[in-house]
Amino acid sequence: MRVTHGTIRRRLVVLLLTLIVAIGALIGRLGFIQGVQSGWLTKAAEALHNRSIPLQGVRGTIYDSTGQKLAYTASAPSVIAMPAQITDKPKTADELAKILGMQSANVLKLLQKRTLMVWINPNGRKITDAQANAIRALRLPGVYLTEEGQTVYPDGSLAASVLGITGADNQGLTGVEKEYDSILAGHPGSITLTTNARGKKMPGTGEQFIPPQAGNDIQLTINANIQQFVEREVEQAVAEYNPDHVTAIVEDPKTGAILAMANYPTFDPANWRSAPASAYNHNLAIWQTFEPGSTFKIVTLSAALQENKVNFSDSFYDPGYYEVAGHKIRCWKAGGHGSESFLNVVENSCNPGFIALGERLGKETLFSYIKKFGFGSKTGIDLPGEGNGILFKLSKVGPLELATTSFGQGVSVTPIQQVMAVGAVANGGLLMQPHVLKAILNHNTGQVIQEVQPKVVRRVISTQTATQVRQALESVVANGSGNKAYLEGYRVAGKTGTAQVAQNGHYAAGHYIVSFIGMAPANNPKVVVYIAIDHPRPKAGVVFGGVIAAPIVGRIIFDTLQYEGVPYDFNGLAKKYRWGDIPNIAVPNFVGMTIGDAQKTAIESSAQLQTQVLGTGKYVVAQSPPANTKVPPGTTVRLYLGDKAPAP
Amino acid sequence: MFDRQIRFDWVIVLVTLVLLAIGLMMVHSASSVLSEQKFNDPFYYAKRQLMWAVLGIVAMILAANYDYHKLRTLAPKLMIAGFLALVLVLIPGVGSNRGGSQAWLGIGSFGIQPSEFAKLALIVFLAHYLADAKDKMDSFWKGFVPPLSMALVAVLLIMLEPDLGQSVVIMGTTIILLFAAGARWRHLSSLFGAGLVAFAGLVAVAPYRMDRIVAFLDPWKYPLDEGYQIIQSLYALGSGGLIGLGLGHSQQKFLYLPEPQTDFVFSILGEELGFLGGATVLALFAVLVWRGFRCAMFARDEFGSLLAAGITGMIAVQVLINVGVVTGSIPATGITLPFISFGGSSLTLMLTGVGILLNISRQSVYAVA
Repeated sequence: MRVTHGTIRRRLVVLLLTLIVAIGALIGRLGFIQGVQSGWLTKAAEALHNRSIPLQGVRGTIYDSTGQKLAYTASAPSVIAMPAQITDKPKTADELAKILGMQSANVLKLLQKRTLMVWINPNGRKITDAQANAIRALRLPGVYLTEEGQTVYPDGSLAASVLGITGADNQGLTGVEKEYDSILAGHPGSITLTTNARGKKMPGTGEQFIPPQAGNDIQLTINANIQQFVEREVEQAVAEYNPDHVTAIVEDPKTGAILAMANYPTFDPANWRSAPASAYNHNLAIWQTFEPGSTFKIVTLSAALQENKVNFSDSFYDPGYYEVAGHKIRCWKAGGHGSESFLNVVENSCNPGFIALGERLGKETLFSYIKKFGFGSKTGIDLPGEGNGILFKLSKVGPLELATTSFGQGVSVTPIQQVMAVGAVANGGLLMQPHVLKAILNHNTGQVIQEVQPKVVRRVISTQTATQVRQALESVVANGSGNKAYLEGYRVAGKTGTAQVAQNGHYAAGHYIVSFIGMAPANNPKVVVYIAIDHPRPKAGVVFGGVIAAPIVGRIIFDTLQYEGVPYDFNGLAKKYRWGDIPNIAVPNFVGMTIGDAQKTAIESSAQLQTQVLGTGKYVVAQSPPANTKVPPGTTVRLYLGDKAPAP
Repeated sequence: MFDRQIRFDWVIVLVTLVLLAIGLMMVHSASSVLSEQKFNDPFYYAKRQLMWAVLGIVAMILAANYDYHKLRTLAPKLMIAGFLALVLVLIPGVGSNRGGSQAWLGIGSFGIQPSEFAKLALIVFLAHYLADAKDKMDSFWKGFVPPLSMALVAVLLIMLEPDLGQSVVIMGTTIILLFAAGARWRHLSSLFGAGLVAFAGLVAVAPYRMDRIVAFLDPWKYPLDEGYQIIQSLYALGSGGLIGLGLGHSQQKFLYLPEPQTDFVFSILGEELGFLGGATVLALFAVLVWRGFRCAMFARDEFGSLLAAGITGMIAVQVLINVGVVTGSIPATGITLPFISFGGSSLTLMLTGVGILLNISRQSVYAVA
């Protein structure tokens, strides 16, 4: 086929149309970029052109209930570098390293990053004024100083686990710092420059200054003075008993406000990084769960009274055990308490008596009270990391589980749950929601922005029942196992608890959590005080459980009521006053035991006896007074040690 | 200076001069920051571009008044000269290397690019050859392969520099010429197949080309390396929006977009003059292409038709590739935007090409009729 001029013309038309369509397509593409994509491309380009020096908003101050500063922000200079603007990187790195006490190579590595801006971590953060002045004097291009907040704790580790910690960027990590992070955190500001690709300011452009805003202040219900009493007692307990953990809580039962909360081990929130993670990660008072032991009997007692299943004057016979489904569940006291009233059952913390109450209530009723008292679910305290605790599933509760639950075994609860449950007894029957926030304040004016109101979760028992339970608990302190918490002039009601710790499905030998929960004044409680000492290791060799925790709570109550100006009241139960039989304490048998077994027996008994250890050796060879002698509380038992175990 | 009775295609003249003026303006605006920084003279590039534009206009006038038929006798010599220049530039010491390409002949900043000259010489030669090959176009070996071989020799020499952009433009222009001259579809499709194979080979030899392709598909994956220029170009265009930031108000020219006065001048144009400016420039090119092909259709003979189609095709291909790259529509390939980008050789030879086009239009049958 010959190519004609016509062919060429036709082909030229095809070419022309193709090329025009292609140019048209490019116009379309251009329209897409400059129309549809223009928005985000412009933003991205601005982000590229604009270099911002961040300015931190001051973090709010945390006050105690009296207006004392617990944690506040002091600002400190920090070094920022814009790598693109630095002309001589090795020299700049050398200079900075010298002032900041860093390796020059490490600084250089930061300066060589292909990013817009780097912090000179870690030593270039929150530096001293002297360092800042030295850097300022060098006038290094591309090196800037900004202010970063640093939290200051005027009282060191006081209330550390409540306050919590803040991270490198002042973000709340634990405690109220985390819970109220959004309130405390300030809004950052910035200075923005428009720069060329080398990071130099573009001619004809200004600086955009967005001022940072301070966060709000918060005031806690924590009272620094009461917190100090509590922490003093915790420290003493640690010194005396060398335990694994200690937890203490002071609550105002009328409002649910937490007045003090302390844990051991504790940490210095300013230097939390040097403390073990276990110290600052968990607030034991709300996180740790364990068997409550006898303190839980308050719940069983309250339920039985509310349901009219018992009168204090009813009599009960304790042969030293209670038979449930073919098992003999033994009382803590070998041989039992014999014939006693139900008030004595409470005073003596007599397990068989409580098993009987549990049986009278039945599992549905007892468990409904347990749940009403708040066990098995979070209290809703405004602190992060609260535990749930564990209850038996109702469908799985047989007679055995019902029996153990009624005296506080086989359930797992948190300290705060126990405090709130007993708080309900203290305030006349209302379960409150605990809280540590009292108010939110404006950082600049101090004006109250928001005040926290007490929150009632539900009514658990009637006012009358609550009064009865308090009377019984006052009697426990005046006459029973809690008498080491007794105060002349303040009516203390309370209950001891000794719980064994389960490990791998068995109770670990010698590992106890000794606790006491008390309230005062018993007729109109102002405070509920709780302490739990996990694995006390007394130096004296043998210490009865009832003497470890109760006196601590007594001292905290005394100092707190004194501090709050509560007048003395001598109308309570006298210490020697008996409301019913006088139950002398039977001395346990220690002869033939190793000193370790003697220790275990003593702690378990929760009796109010003193010991005096005489001589040296592995075994107790004799004791005075002898076993099963009935003695009044407070009697000293002498234990004679020797190397040979006497023949039984 | 022109005889009133001689009818140039004045539209071509007007469009060319408008594009040239826009180009001068944009080269100055786009380069001012860079030239201030490099040479302490914001007019460094603009002054040189103006000089080349004047030189180019002189060349255009001369070409417009030079009977294009005389080029037929010169065609073989021009082609040989073009090849010689392409070989010369590869000799170290004779040619100079700028930005990784051994592409310049001459001293200092007044170097010229032989590839620009060879490109125009090849168009003249192919038009000359194909105008006489009407009877051979059925034959693959006699009609299709000889002109293609000439183009491939040029491409081979240019790829030794290497200059991918010029090579692609030469191949594109050659295909346009072969198609216009009536090459058979099956020959063209076999060329397409061979092209794919060659492309695969080139990628295998120099893997950085593959990176460039990947960068075009997702420039944000390589924001600091292969994708950098495309991202910066898109930022410029996107910031421009519909009406632009205003002449002289580009921010991307503040050293974000490398060498903004050459291959990426259209980005700055889009940033400062917006979609309206960019679309106007593309529309002007469309008019030029239309007038160029109109000129080819009414040329007095086949040589004129093919010559006009070749020159117009070259302009069109460069516009498509340049704007395609700048808008991230095709893989990055360095080529100037005719009449707009900074570059002496490119500008002068483009204007010479337009001059030839004008001479063809002057002698068109349409004009005579």
